[in-house]
Amino acid sequence: MNVLEKAGKNVVLLGNEAIARGALEAGVGVVAAYPGTPSSEVPTTLAGIAKECGFLFEYSSNEKVAFETAAGAAWSGVRSLTAMKHFGLNVASDSVSPVAYSGVKGGFVLMVADDPYGWSSAQSEQDTRYYARMMRLPVLEPSNPQECLDLTKLAFDISEEFELPFFLRTTTKVSHAIGTVKLGKIKKPKLKGKFVKDKSRYYNIRPNLQELHKQIDGKLNKIEKKYAKLNKVFKGKGNIGVIASGVSFEYAKELFHMLGINPPMAKLTLTYPTPRNFIKQFIKNKKAVLVLEELEPIVENEVKMLAKDVNPKLAVHGKALLPNYGEYNLEVMMPAFEKVFKKKCGINFAAHKKQTTVSIKGLPPRKPVLCPGCPHRSTFYAVKDVFGENAVFAGDIGCYVLGIFEPFNMQDFIVSMGASLGISHGISMVSDQEIIAFIGDSTFFHSGMSALANLKFNDHKTPLIIVMDNSFTAMTGHQPNPGTGITGVGEAVQSIKIEEVAKAMGAEVRVVNSFNQKQIKDAILELKNVTGLRVIISRGECRLVTKRKLRSKNLEFTKFEIDQSKCTKCGICTNKFACPAIKEIRKKASDEPIYYIEPDICWGCSVCMQICPYGAIHPVKKEVKE
Amino acid sequence: MTFNVMLTGVGGEGVLTAAAIVASAAQNEGLSVHGLHLHGLAQRGGTIPTFVRFGKGAYSPGIMQADADLVLAFEPLEAARATFYANKKKTLFIINDWPHMPVYANLLDMPYPNMTDIVKRIKPFAKNVMVFNTHKVALEKFGVAILGNTMLIGVAVGSRALPLKETSVRNAITANVRRNTDKNLEAFKIGLNMGKNMEIFSK
Repeated sequence: MNVLEKAGKNVVLLGNEAIARGALEAGVGVVAAYPGTPSSEVPTTLAGIAKECGFLFEYSSNEKVAFETAAGAAWSGVRSLTAMKHFGLNVASDSVSPVAYSGVKGGFVLMVADDPYGWSSAQSEQDTRYYARMMRLPVLEPSNPQECLDLTKLAFDISEEFELPFFLRTTTKVSHAIGTVKLGKIKKPKLKGKFVKDKSRYYNIRPNLQELHKQIDGKLNKIEKKYAKLNKVFKGKGNIGVIASGVSFEYAKELFHMLGINPPMAKLTLTYPTPRNFIKQFIKNKKAVLVLEELEPIVENEVKMLAKDVNPKLAVHGKALLPNYGEYNLEVMMPAFEKVFKKKCGINFAAHKKQTTVSIKGLPPRKPVLCPGCPHRSTFYAVKDVFGENAVFAGDIGCYVLGIFEPFNMQDFIVSMGASLGISHGISMVSDQEIIAFIGDSTFFHSGMSALANLKFNDHKTPLIIVMDNSFTAMTGHQPNPGTGITGVGEAVQSIKIEEVAKAMGAEVRVVNSFNQKQIKDAILELKNVTGLRVIISRGECRLVTKRKLRSKNLEFTKFEIDQSKCTKCGICTNKFACPAIKEIRKKASDEPIYYIEPDICWGCSVCMQICPYGAIHPVKKEVKE
Repeated sequence: MTFNVMLTGVGGEGVLTAAAIVASAAQNEGLSVHGLHLHGLAQRGGTIPTFVRFGKGAYSPGIMQADADLVLAFEPLEAARATFYANKKKTLFIINDWPHMPVYANLLDMPYPNMTDIVKRIKPFAKNVMVFNTHKVALEKFGVAILGNTMLIGVAVGSRALPLKETSVRNAITANVRRNTDKNLEAFKIGLNMGKNMEIFSK
């Protein structure tokens, strides 16, 4: 594994892997996280090596708990890290500000990955740099994998020096960039600590609160003075400068090369506390600057404010020329560079885009789909069979967001972890519509339980809740959760049964097998007209996990096939059930189709056999059993 | 000079592993490596474009439009979708003729194009297009189609479309492939020989 290679070696690492290595080189003692793309590889990498390297690791039930866990360890003097996606910080935020006020003893790094463009299927493009300003957390922003490693390590040191949590902020194209990284020495972790009572530090109630508030501002001022040197000026020619942070810095270097220009560039690495003097020095003799940052014009606005003092005539270019939505890349940034530096790159981007758009016209799209044998497909199919198109289908976060696409169209809205329960409760207060609220197992433990309690507490008319329990946090890479029965480092623990939680909250509960259409439908029909809290747990292990388990024993799924003599070519299996393993083949467009199941990707769930109205699908006989 | 490789295919079908092999082979040769591996939802059977860049002058993790030197496509439809990154002057396409029909072909009634149509779409944006069926060869030889991935890398190296040394790629395979390493090395060798007989740079 590259992440454990020896010091001094150059290896290729993913940005997130480099962050994990940086934590090892800093001697991290405790890591707690809830997985979320694009941050997931930080905890996944660390989970795999925690035992070997001798630090403590856990997947926590949500980001707030993960943050608190890491904070508690840091308060006790042990170096700690938590990693999360941008929305994770919303969940954790309740505790972040108070912990920042109290400060830490052991170095504490809060790694957050923003996701402009929403590669992770995120529900907004929020810019978490605003949080840093609100919560008063110093921010380091790496631009490439090498900096991911170096800055993580440094963040632990400065965090400890100033007794303040540090915010390491990436975006997707930093976290998922790969690059050559020179490794340093792994440090043996210190695991034992002690919480030392200290009223002046941990009693964050007035009037101590105001004292802590003053202290944190003092710390930030000191950090700005001492570590503004982390920001660098790259000398160049001309009186137009570039100010860049994050991945934009990498794009800028390549764009300079392409345009044959060499303007002076200020690279911001410590972006908060705002390095005021550093920026003033850079802008004071310039005619104009181009500020490069994805999402919101945060640095740009700060530059504008600072220019008032030192160079009021400075032209500050930024979001007027570049979008505050989506990601930056070379194509998006080039027009702004051409305009500011009055150069032409000689490439007609628009013409090429137009030509290639024409060249792919009519090709079938390949949106992400539920896997072959996915338990969610079966559950969606059964629910739709009972309720048709008219019920309100409340969506939530997990692989089942893919139910948003054809042929299901069964995620009418997707807001945040656990929001299917809260939003559908609100709808049910004012509407007589039939409401089905979907939620996953990991999501249930993350944010569903409090919403379930509320439904019981304010029990009048509640949605029918369907927990799609595949036993893992599947979408981010099959991390275990409190229902799985194993911990993040693979130790067996007692799993918490969702049905017992729901029963304890007074719900009428049914547990069904996701791969059994009749069971699911019977349970729905039974509970459909029952009043009060109703929960159906549709349980079926993620098929990717089952596949891996079988493969490790050299076993195969029982495959299914279509009996062509019975197949009426009704198309239900392809157009309504849409398993990727079932294909409709025509030699010519005018030919009658043939339906067949591709054995390589039939993962043996048997649901196609159950839904075929003509009994045309059956198991392939000769295969070994599961 | 930077060499830009775009690897494309279907999520979950080994594209990321193939990209890791190419990246670590370049690293083995002491070249500076950049690139982009998108993870997450795209892996669930979606399109998965991945970039590996090596040599001097590369900073951006992604390739700019029309700037790929090589498109290594493990699936034909995804090769057709890669034209945005391709350019008549320099881009070589090496395509594995092993179609993976998306469910949306049925659902949206948009038929999967045949290979002739795909090549016709790519031609205006390619210096040359080479089609192989490494998955078929791998299935016949080893009974495991996915070994066609390392075989396709072999084709690229053997034909010099991918300017990396045989030994550095072999070492990269050993370091990055967890299962069936020996068979992967054998598949790579078959690919090398297939590639050596190809005149990919001639028009």
